[in-house]
Amino acid sequence: PVQFGRSQPSLSRMLSTVSKQLRNHPALIPLFIFIGGGATMSMMYLARLALRNPDVCWDRKNNPEPWNKMSPTDQYKFFTVNMDYSKLKKNGPDF
Amino acid sequence: MPSFASQHPVRADQEGHHPRRGHIETTQVLVRLVKMAEAVEEKIKNYRTAPFDARFPNTNQTRNCFQNYLDFHRCNKALSDKGQDVTPCGWYQRVYKTLCPMSWVSKWDDQIEAGSFPGKI
Repeated sequence: PVQFGRSQPSLSRMLSTVSKQLRNHPALIPLFIFIGGGATMSMMYLARLALRNPDVCWDRKNNPEPWNKMSPTDQYKFFTVNMDYSKLKKNGPDF
Repeated sequence: MPSFASQHPVRADQEGHHPRRGHIETTQVLVRLVKMAEAVEEKIKNYRTAPFDARFPNTNQTRNCFQNYLDFHRCNKALSDKGQDVTPCGWYQRVYKTLCPMSWVSKWDDQIEAGSFPGKI
């Protein structure tokens, strides 16, 4: 289908509009930095949750209980206020 | 197979090959079993409450409860299949009785009796 009056695809048109606006109003640049940084941090946290969280099970056949692969001294949380992980030992008996 | 560092109890695979028992003599195995059983008996005697488990560090302890319930039944099955004494499994029972609501435990016990329990034992 022919698109009248549109010779460029929309992504490059968006980018050219944004760069024109930035050249005319350079005070907008910190806005992009902070919003871009925030979006990056959110996506990185979601990726960490998806790939590193021991509660997440991607492969039910080969790795059905990934939380059991942790050692007693593994720490997943960022901050643990009163917990000294280095002194922990395995709790239950082997079978 | 889980390594030494694994939190998961070390178990034999389908054919009964235990990952740690390749060439160890029977007496050494028995001595270690007796020592381990005594250590677990000691722990069960001094039991106060479920200890901190690094696999479940957050407020939601649902999975902790279910995992100990599963481990208790798996331990019973594994040790009785090998003909050993089942009392070390009492540790897992104490922990899940501490953590789990009684209604869940009775529901799961009924499901096990009926053969409809969803977990893998």
